[in-house]
Amino acid sequence: MGVGSLSELACEARRRLLIMAAYDPGIHIGSSLSVLDILTALYGTGRVRFNAHNGLSTRNYLVLSKGHAVHAIYALASVFGYLNLDELRETGSLGSRLQNHPEDDTPFVDVSNSGSLGLGIGMAVGLALGLRLRGATGRVYLVTGDGELDEGVSWESFAVVASYGLSNVVTIVDLNNAQLDGPSDEVLKKGDLAGRFKAMGFFVQTVDGHDVDKLVEALEAAEKAGAPSVIIARTVRGKGVQGLEGSIKQRIPRDEALELAGRLSCR
Amino acid sequence: MSLVEELTPREAAGKALADLGDLRNDVVVLVADTGETTRARFFAERHPDRFFNVGIAEQAMAAIAAGLASAGFMPYALTFAAFMARAWEIIRNSIARLNLPVRLVGTHAGFSDAYDGPSHQALEDLALFRVLPNFTVIAPADSCETYRAVMASAEVKGPVYIRVGRDFHVPTTCDMYKVFEVGKGYVALDGHDVALLTTGQMLSFALDAAHILKEKGISAAVLHFPTVKPLDLTLLSRYARTVKAIVTVEEHVVHGGFGSAVAEALINLGPKPMAIMGVKGFGRTAKSPADLYQFFGLTPDNIAARAEELISLSR
Repeated sequence: MGVGSLSELACEARRRLLIMAAYDPGIHIGSSLSVLDILTALYGTGRVRFNAHNGLSTRNYLVLSKGHAVHAIYALASVFGYLNLDELRETGSLGSRLQNHPEDDTPFVDVSNSGSLGLGIGMAVGLALGLRLRGATGRVYLVTGDGELDEGVSWESFAVVASYGLSNVVTIVDLNNAQLDGPSDEVLKKGDLAGRFKAMGFFVQTVDGHDVDKLVEALEAAEKAGAPSVIIARTVRGKGVQGLEGSIKQRIPRDEALELAGRLSCR
Repeated sequence: MSLVEELTPREAAGKALADLGDLRNDVVVLVADTGETTRARFFAERHPDRFFNVGIAEQAMAAIAAGLASAGFMPYALTFAAFMARAWEIIRNSIARLNLPVRLVGTHAGFSDAYDGPSHQALEDLALFRVLPNFTVIAPADSCETYRAVMASAEVKGPVYIRVGRDFHVPTTCDMYKVFEVGKGYVALDGHDVALLTTGQMLSFALDAAHILKEKGISAAVLHFPTVKPLDLTLLSRYARTVKAIVTVEEHVVHGGFGSAVAEALINLGPKPMAIMGVKGFGRTAKSPADLYQFFGLTPDNIAARAEELISLSR
């Protein structure tokens, strides 16, 4: 699938995110929109798959540590034909398998310990150690927010990646500079993120996190690096939806969601 | 088992892990800069490829153990019991919530690290792990039982917490039974007036208390519950029906631990006059665990006295 068509699919996924937001006030729309192109690059190129059930394998894993953005995965899954609109409308309802944070029985996510921040990072490290022990060639694609890098466990876990030379972990930081109490660099200084990772021995790339073409190139380079690697993807909260882009809005009312969906032009 | 009998509890845990590693290639071991102090080193020496030291980082240890379990392995993660608690929320969300087969071994539990005082003496761990859904909680009495419990834990489907002492132990269970069953309680001594219920290292103290009571003409049963959760309700109800009173003894705070578990069960089975013996508050620095048992009133004499008191009240 060409990168051009991937961008179109991402746009359609944005529309479906807005439709979900119209039915489920629990959706973190801003965060889901910022990470959507990153997830499009991963799922759209077949690096990770829309597995109906999570669990043990030697395949590639996706760990979405910023689990509150799981709706971006649901939206993509529906665009790729793995979910229908009926089910999307049930997102977040009692009894729906599309929970507002990934749970154990949530489809299309390989592991589900996120929700509480920073936990996906350690989970990814354990999966990568497991793949290595099995001699499996699978990789772990770890998507983390920038806010959760406040958590000590994040850096504890990255130190293990560095110490054990886990080149089978590719970390992508969704750097949207937003967390609950404001801009990430104001709530708590993250410092020179690229420098912090470089100092630990990571192969570091910084890219536009909304340029799917560039993201795919960076993923290819990371996979060839033969070292722990991180892609710092600069993103914008609410990306791709006029009225939400760059705003702090995370949850929007039904009327606004439907209106925005109607106005979205994907061509 | 004579060899195990001569080991300290933490050494018995380390030996069990090494032996388990021989039997099962899915067993991996993680430590938080505690390979030596927990004696997980025994495993590392035999199975270096399956041993991971994550540094002084208990939270990462728990999260990474969850990842390894998700990848199909059976991780044993070891650190001091007091510091395992630091990763509690991660253990809740990444291990208990997903019901992953992670085994947490908290060493230096109870008063066993007498030297380092309250910061190192885990007296709340049974309560912390007991409230987590899916968790099995085991507190062995001595080195023999520690060895058997670690070996048996491999058969448990969900997550397990095993509480292990440092060096102090009185070999008691070595000839008591042949096979350790998770979830089973054991009759260490039969009796009909009062039941002394123990978990962990208090077993030998309760047996001594029973002998003191016997000299006074009181027949005390000693029931040992190495598995605190799930509790062996069959054994508990059998004795709860016949005895006049129940005394629980644990090297743990009196809130939320073994005694609480027994009391919760007795609400359904039929309440009895009961004493929960344990600790109120934090531990203390001391030269030996024995000094601490004395200081906190957890001696055979104290146990016997409480049993006598309850019996006289119930007449």
